[in-house]
Amino acid sequence: MWPIPSIDWLALTIPIAYLTILIGSLAIFSSLYRKRKAASAAALEPWFPPHLQRNIYLSLLHQEDPKVPDSILKAALMRRATEDIHRIVQVRNAKQALQVLLQRGSVGDDLWQRFQHAEREIEEELKDVVTEANAFAPNWGQIIFQSASEMAQNTLLRDRLSEIQSTQAAEKEWWEKRKAAIQEDFMKELDEEKKEPKTERSDDDAVLVEGGGPAVGAGRKTGGKKKGKH
Amino acid sequence: MSGTDYSYDGEGQFFPYFILTITSLVTLPVTYSWLKPSKELENTATRIDSGYKPEHADLIEGQRKKLKRRERRIKRALISIGGWLVIAYMVYLTIVTARLIPKIWDPYDVLGISRSATEQEIKKHYRRLSLTLHPDKAREDPSRNITKEIINDHWVDVTKAFKALTDEEIRNNYIQFGHPDGKQSFSIGIALPKWIITEGHGKYVLLIYALALGVILPYTVGRWWYGTQRVTREKILVASAGKLFREYDNDQGETGVVGVLSSGEEFNDVLKGHKADNGLSKLEQKVLADSSDSSISSILSKKDRQKLEDLDETPRRKVLNLLWAYLGRVELGDDVLNDEKFEVAPVALRLNEAYTAIALAYGNTKAVLSAYHTAQNLIQALRPGASPLEQLPYFSPEVVKAAEAEKSRNHLTIQEFMRLSADKRKSRVVAPGLLTDSQYKTALTVASKLPVLHVEKAFFKVLGERFITPSSLVQFVVKCRFIPPGTANVPEVKASDLEDIDPDEGDVAANNGRKEDKSGEKPIQPPLAHAPYFARDHAPRWHVFLADSKQGKIVVPPFSFSTFDKPIIDESGNSTYNVQTLKMQFGAPPQAGKYTFVMHMVCDSYIGTDTKTEVTLEVDDASKVEELVEEDEISEPDEDTIAGQMRALKTGAAPGKPKKKRSDDDSSDGSDTEGDVDSESETDTDTDSDDE
Repeated sequence: MWPIPSIDWLALTIPIAYLTILIGSLAIFSSLYRKRKAASAAALEPWFPPHLQRNIYLSLLHQEDPKVPDSILKAALMRRATEDIHRIVQVRNAKQALQVLLQRGSVGDDLWQRFQHAEREIEEELKDVVTEANAFAPNWGQIIFQSASEMAQNTLLRDRLSEIQSTQAAEKEWWEKRKAAIQEDFMKELDEEKKEPKTERSDDDAVLVEGGGPAVGAGRKTGGKKKGKH
Repeated sequence: MSGTDYSYDGEGQFFPYFILTITSLVTLPVTYSWLKPSKELENTATRIDSGYKPEHADLIEGQRKKLKRRERRIKRALISIGGWLVIAYMVYLTIVTARLIPKIWDPYDVLGISRSATEQEIKKHYRRLSLTLHPDKAREDPSRNITKEIINDHWVDVTKAFKALTDEEIRNNYIQFGHPDGKQSFSIGIALPKWIITEGHGKYVLLIYALALGVILPYTVGRWWYGTQRVTREKILVASAGKLFREYDNDQGETGVVGVLSSGEEFNDVLKGHKADNGLSKLEQKVLADSSDSSISSILSKKDRQKLEDLDETPRRKVLNLLWAYLGRVELGDDVLNDEKFEVAPVALRLNEAYTAIALAYGNTKAVLSAYHTAQNLIQALRPGASPLEQLPYFSPEVVKAAEAEKSRNHLTIQEFMRLSADKRKSRVVAPGLLTDSQYKTALTVASKLPVLHVEKAFFKVLGERFITPSSLVQFVVKCRFIPPGTANVPEVKASDLEDIDPDEGDVAANNGRKEDKSGEKPIQPPLAHAPYFARDHAPRWHVFLADSKQGKIVVPPFSFSTFDKPIIDESGNSTYNVQTLKMQFGAPPQAGKYTFVMHMVCDSYIGTDTKTEVTLEVDDASKVEELVEEDEISEPDEDTIAGQMRALKTGAAPGKPKKKRSDDDSSDGSDTEGDVDSESETDTDTDSDDE
């Protein structure tokens, strides 16, 4: 009945062993590869540093013993929304540039992944802020970001202003010194003129006064402005 | 014997041939690529020779050599030398084993007679041989190792040879198959030595096979693949690119860019192991020392300083300090630190290229300019905001102060300094405690050799058209000359040099822009950047881009020029003042109107040579152009020419295509150059350089 009277079991093990080793090694490779990939994706550095304002808000919200008054909670939520505005502006600005760079191969894939994580995270964060705001006052969620962005703009402007004003002292000092030097030069010149008339010197000074305005611009850019030599 | 009976190469006759072929297939191309002279710009350009040796010139030279060594293609050299050794050995083997190859059976040879012998002579000779060689006659001679068998074999051979030459049938056999016995066995050999298949070696062969296929091949492919994945297009590590992108900020100035560059992963290779934090405190002390107003600490804004102090990873902190030390030309009083100071600069320049690419992707003019200026600073080893005069040898901050005399906040550029009268210039800087006479002369020679590109004219045009129509492909043409600083009587520019005449209509290659590079002529290179502190040769590049000044955005991304089409200096080393043409192409805006752009031209190697000019692009409505063309045609009298008739036909056929018509029109009066020039001047949109 049996078509093959005897099977050489030993010889049969060889192809079976071959197949097991082949398939087994491929399976091990695939699982290891996936695990490593997942691990590296999880280990990606977050795009943004920890969200301090959100943490503050949440700790205030969950503080039980002396209940935090609503006004403080609302202020904390505003702060949180302001920080979100900063972040979303950053994400929006970066997106186009990052896409261009990714296409050209100037940045790596994992940066793009990190960016997408950040994008999703910020979306969730926005939704969360809106629901929180609505919990405080109906329909506040629709305008909270408007106010937050105004706040952000204001801070930005003030920072710039204070930055410019911080140079004031140095500029003033420089100008005082300069004025003194010019005065001294003039006095010297007058003295010299009494002795012997000289023209070249005064010519030089005329240029001085013109160029000596309290220009704040960097020295580098003069190259462009003074380009027309004729 | 059957045909399937493969014989292995037992004596190793063919194996060497096989190996020889394979190795030469690999070795020859590798050797070529190893010995081929490099065509990189840095290796073909001339130098500005000043004879100036900065402090620590030996350290800089050492770094330069180190970089060269790294680029010397050692792997290829090893492979090709190894390959040639193998080839030599295989040639030796073939020569040695050649003697073993059996000779072709030749009856004349066996009998020892000439090929011209007649049958008579052969028979006679055979009989004579039989007297000595017949087994019955010949004697065994053990001393000469002649045995009975050898005598027998030889006699059989002789008989065969005799028959091959006399017997009809055997002769036919010999002619047909090369052997008197008829067809010989046909054998296929494998050029592998026999020991490969001998019993017991099988497992080793299998092992090598498995190793090659299972380990070496995947390893090489994997290494190649991950190697290409590790670096970006700008040849920096992906990790560094990510960090640069993260730290990018539109508003950070040049000091900020230097801070960002210090985040590069590449510096970890430079400062390995204990080098990562050795001497950090000493370094910080020196760099941030508050000694004079030209020191590093004075140019760092509060924010930058805060950033430097907040850095908690020591390696990065050290890198940033080294960079500032390099840019401030700070003497660190320690050879190791000084050496590292010069080593970080070329790395930073490479990272800066990647940073520039990122800035370009954002398209912010200020950020791109900061990136370009950082390149200048790195190459010239000057801190941001330093006077351009410090690029000249021996010009220390003190000398520069004396040279600038006028206590303005803006620095003098080299060009402005050289424009001062010679006496005035000299009296300012040659003084005890400042410069000596010879130092001054060296500085002047360098200054007079710097390639400063001076824009003469910049305009827009569309190839073969009189007007710029919406969405057409516009060429931005910049006509400029190299005018070294301090040249007194610069010749006037010839008007003809400032025009850009379109190539003939028939010249298809030129019309498609393929002729731009002037493939026939060798492009002219300006000399390498004069950068005594930078531990690497650098060929200067000029970046030209158009920006919108209102939005602060880049409109047309930069085109970079490193070679030019006309000689810059003649044989005797004098400037030729040739007008160079730089062209860049971009698509015109889709709406008609006047567009005012700011053209920036930035050299990446020299500080204070930037050019900034306003240019206006006038885009005309397509309908207006059509009208004008129509008018043109009416005034054209030559209806009797073939071209005229053709045009008449075409204008009738296709009225809605002004562009097409226009090019037809051109072909009809292609020889009329004067008309072309006229149209040229009409097309040129005005260039307003904001002269003072």
